[in-house]
Amino acid sequence: MAIAGLIVTLLGFIIAVASLGMSSSVSGRMVIVLVGLAVSLVGIIGLINPAYQKKAAWRK
Amino acid sequence: MTRRIAILAVALLMASLAWAQAPATPPAPAPEPAAAAPATPPAPAPVAITDKDLTSVPAPSADARAKGDPDGSLTGTVSDVVVGDSKKGLTIGDLANQAGQNRVAINFVWTLITGFLVMFMQAGFAIVETGLCRAKNANHTMMMNFMVYGVGMLAFWLIGFAIQMGGVGALGTLGGTPVLGGEYSVTLFGKTFGLWGQNGLFLMHKGTYDVAVMVMFLFQMVFMDTALTIVTGTVAERWKYAAFMVSSFVMGAFTYPLFANWAWGGGWLANLGGNFSLGHGYADFAGSGVLHSVGGVTALAMGILLGPRLGKYNRDGKANVILGHDIVLVLLGCFILAFGWFGFNPGSTLAASGNGALRIGSVAVNTMLAGMTGSFGAMLYMWIRYGKPDASMSGNGLLAGLVAITAPSGFVNPVGSAIIGLIAGVLVCVSGEFVDRVLKVDDPVGAISVHGTNGLWGVISVGLFADGKSNFGGSWNGVSGNVTGLFYGDAGQLVAQLIGVSTLVGLVFTFSFVVNWVIDAVVGQRVAAKAELEGLDMPEMGAVGYPEFELKASAARM
Repeated sequence: MAIAGLIVTLLGFIIAVASLGMSSSVSGRMVIVLVGLAVSLVGIIGLINPAYQKKAAWRK
Repeated sequence: MTRRIAILAVALLMASLAWAQAPATPPAPAPEPAAAAPATPPAPAPVAITDKDLTSVPAPSADARAKGDPDGSLTGTVSDVVVGDSKKGLTIGDLANQAGQNRVAINFVWTLITGFLVMFMQAGFAIVETGLCRAKNANHTMMMNFMVYGVGMLAFWLIGFAIQMGGVGALGTLGGTPVLGGEYSVTLFGKTFGLWGQNGLFLMHKGTYDVAVMVMFLFQMVFMDTALTIVTGTVAERWKYAAFMVSSFVMGAFTYPLFANWAWGGGWLANLGGNFSLGHGYADFAGSGVLHSVGGVTALAMGILLGPRLGKYNRDGKANVILGHDIVLVLLGCFILAFGWFGFNPGSTLAASGNGALRIGSVAVNTMLAGMTGSFGAMLYMWIRYGKPDASMSGNGLLAGLVAITAPSGFVNPVGSAIIGLIAGVLVCVSGEFVDRVLKVDDPVGAISVHGTNGLWGVISVGLFADGKSNFGGSWNGVSGNVTGLFYGDAGQLVAQLIGVSTLVGLVFTFSFVVNWVIDAVVGQRVAAKAELEGLDMPEMGAVGYPEFELKASAARM
């Protein structure tokens, strides 16, 4: 799951950069960049961190 | 209860006063009384000055100078202008050269001295982190903060500086020659994306043995080193020393310089304005993103990878507070850091003469104001929420305000600075609770919240609060005009800033995580449980930080 999280986190960055080619309006780009940012945060907070928390020492 | 309500009322009053003073639109200039305006006297006709005229400029006599100069009137006169050819005497060319050299000399001295201030911040970081850790890890924590300076500098000298600044071109304010002109680029969406610099390895490569390059190296090197030292705080009390050395070298050689190139070295983020009409491109005056967020997101990656300290969380997931051993060190360190920040932000003009560099006064005041409101924000938040004005969080509030104002300090007004700092002070507390209790990432010094969260807030705040009044030589990132945020009419600037934030969160985090995952697999990042319980001073460093203190503790146990 950690690897999936890394891929999702990186995907968020790619979405944000792709906004430069996908839209020429400022508001369109802003929406796409915010979506990319949200995707990256899901990757870190929702996937990578839980994957490591599952095997945390304090759970044992 | 009544006391809490009173504190809340004071906080709300302060916030409303700050907002009330924020101008919705730039104030209109006062109208001039046309009828009463005096007639402008005609400008005098220009008079050509020749070399011959300079011979009549009086110079102090040799006799007068031989008697000394107690009041300073004989020092710094025409006698002190460097003459190129003694046979010709003083010429107009000599005066012009002297003026040029004076401007560059002022900028050299300014940049070097502010760089020295930033270097001293290492001492501040060292004692803040050590004070917030337990005494049994004092030697280890201090040594990480001490050696990160050397490890980072070595990496930056060998590789990092070339990657960061090797394609930036001529250093205008430092009068440099264009030896740093080797940016490697690719084409995307029909535009050039600069990725990394190529000139400047070892400060000898391709003509970079150059006085301006040396000044730039020193200034950028101390910036880079503060980013590295952010990570040591988050993973303190459990990081294997050998892994710290390797990880810090990689960060100083690649992680930091890459993002710094994109933002400051002529890379693709800086050119979002010129290439895609997004404001002035990613604007980060002194490094909320380049420095603090790179350190902060790397610290988050490391915190997740290494896991919490033993005893930090119970089996039910409830967090325990592990107190540091010296709050005096912590607050003294915060003061040292606040002092060093006057190098960080005003120094980032890289000039005190020309190109709008007199803005240094405004930058310095913005810096101190945001630090002040940051400490107030955190102190009041803790006082209201927990009933006491927590000392370490007040210190972190000061740092959070300073981190947040680092990017916008050159572009915003004093009221904007105060608001940015106040929000940062509250944000550091909220973020700290989120990291500690929700993410369950153990961060002994709060570096993820201070530098990561507030670094990102600082980057965003440029896109909101930049008031369009600063003019650093008429353009920024090659785009004419002044950096202007959403509240003053330019939404495109905010988009550029958000793309920077997305790069930090999406790319820099991933890069740091993968690099340190590999180091973990090869070297092993975390110390053994036995060593952690004993304290890292003996197992990792071979000597304890406070031998007498240990004897006293032993006696107390007896």
